[in-house]
Amino acid sequence: MLDTDAIFLSLKLALYTLAIMLPLGVWLAYRLVRMGPAKPWAEALLALPLVLPPTVLGYYLLVGFRDATVFGYPLVFSFGGILLASLIVNLPFAVQPIQRALESISPEIREAAQVSGLSNWQIFRRIELPLAWRGVTSAAVMTFAHTLGEFGVILMVGGAIPGETKTVSIAIYDKVQGFDITGAGSLSLLLLATSLIAITLSYGVLGKRKSC
Amino acid sequence: MLKLRIHQTIPMPLQLNIECANGELHALVGPSGSGKTSALRTIAGLRNPAYGQIECNGEIWFSADEGTGLKPLALSPAQRSCGLLFQQYALFPHLSAIDNVKIPLLNTQHTASEKQIIAQNWLARMGIGELAQRMPNQLSGGQQQRVALARALARQPKVLLLDEPFSAIDTPTRQGLYKTLAELRRDLHIPIVLVTHDLREAGLLADRITVIDRGIGLQTASPQNLFQKPRNSRVAELVGISNLFQGRFNQGKLHWQGTDIALDVVDKNKIPADSVVAWVIPQNGISVSRTKTVLSHTASVSEISAIGQIAVIQFAIPASDQTVIWEASAAEVRRLELAIGIQVELELDGKQIHIMPLRPINDPRRFTTTAPN
Repeated sequence: MLDTDAIFLSLKLALYTLAIMLPLGVWLAYRLVRMGPAKPWAEALLALPLVLPPTVLGYYLLVGFRDATVFGYPLVFSFGGILLASLIVNLPFAVQPIQRALESISPEIREAAQVSGLSNWQIFRRIELPLAWRGVTSAAVMTFAHTLGEFGVILMVGGAIPGETKTVSIAIYDKVQGFDITGAGSLSLLLLATSLIAITLSYGVLGKRKSC
Repeated sequence: MLKLRIHQTIPMPLQLNIECANGELHALVGPSGSGKTSALRTIAGLRNPAYGQIECNGEIWFSADEGTGLKPLALSPAQRSCGLLFQQYALFPHLSAIDNVKIPLLNTQHTASEKQIIAQNWLARMGIGELAQRMPNQLSGGQQQRVALARALARQPKVLLLDEPFSAIDTPTRQGLYKTLAELRRDLHIPIVLVTHDLREAGLLADRITVIDRGIGLQTASPQNLFQKPRNSRVAELVGISNLFQGRFNQGKLHWQGTDIALDVVDKNKIPADSVVAWVIPQNGISVSRTKTVLSHTASVSEISAIGQIAVIQFAIPASDQTVIWEASAAEVRRLELAIGIQVELELDGKQIHIMPLRPINDPRRFTTTAPN
């Protein structure tokens, strides 16, 4: 039988992460593109979650969150904690595609917009963001799919509290531990199908944009 | 009137003093990397020089004086109201032709329908009104350039800046653009600054030309004056004058370096006695005949290149390595019976000879009594 609590929690976590991560990722990518000599350091810091083992990252977050609270709620073993962890883990997945898309815009395009009398905000909204649209879509899909499947960091920071921190991937692990292979298989199939659909949709949309 | 006086040494030298009146087309000409595009970008506010002043119709766009320690005044590109036609057009690829032209109207007081009409009118004026809904990648190079020009003009700029507009278009499109430019110049009555490396084009279109080399404005003159009276040998070299020689000038006599020839030349007492100089002679200062006269000098035909009805003939001066280039019609070549090795008599009109220093005007060694290495 499907663990609906875990499915809804995973979806909630993925959507919350997406809602916060997209504007944050766009902002960070925008700043990175214009950054001076500190850019390689900032890029390395943002890419760290890609190379660190999830358990190592989870360990540092667990230690870091140990006594931390947000609006009186503890971060460890709570939804707030796994949301924050998810945001940190997803930073490179969101920032890098948007950064690459922004960097691919010719400087002359920006200059043409400047000479046309547009403010920096107008240049961003009317020119840069539409041109970086493919990168933003790619970032959204990567973030969403990656959050659904995140395991190590979530387990370290949140444990496996049903309805609070027990996401689909952790539920699969629990079911395998309890020899419920059928349940684990159903949830795995669900994750597989969701990820496949998300990526296919994004490729379809990107392909259409490319052809116009 | 656009007034530009800029000066800097780093990161690259830039030293220019240009004035361009309303309705004037002023060309900045120089080899690649000479700083002409930098000058254009400086006017547009996309980069700021270290010192100087940029003024347009009495409005100061940039001002920074050396040694005052005051913060420079520098209006942003958006505040300057320049129309800039980029070399690669820089159209916004996600917007249709008409939406590209509407972008500069974004911060104007016009209503949405007025903006639509203004943009459509500009496209129509550029002869591409029917292509308004096309995306940039559905337009040819010439059509893209016309959209870019319409966009540059939509905001009614105070100055129009054109960066190498003819470099990437074919000859028929180029002819069309010449015509459009001539019409715009007549109708808009704003300063137009054109950057080009093609001197022939600059000569054809511009009222005045500034020759730039290594960031420094060497000479500003009308095309005719520039070709006849280059300020120094570098300018003569850059404008491609074929008969550029060196010599020593003393009391009205020009001793042609490397030959025994001395020519009588009129001077306005500007050149110190016994100076090493560069000199040029235009085509109409050279006469060729087969009969010796008192003023003629013997030479022999060393090369003939015929291009259609025009022939370029090279004459070698005996006992020297000096050659004179002469352009003549094919009929003239036949009349004089010119062929390789034939001896002719050359007359060089001293009144047409223009003498100039070997070095730029700001070089203290410009007139020297010793020949440069």
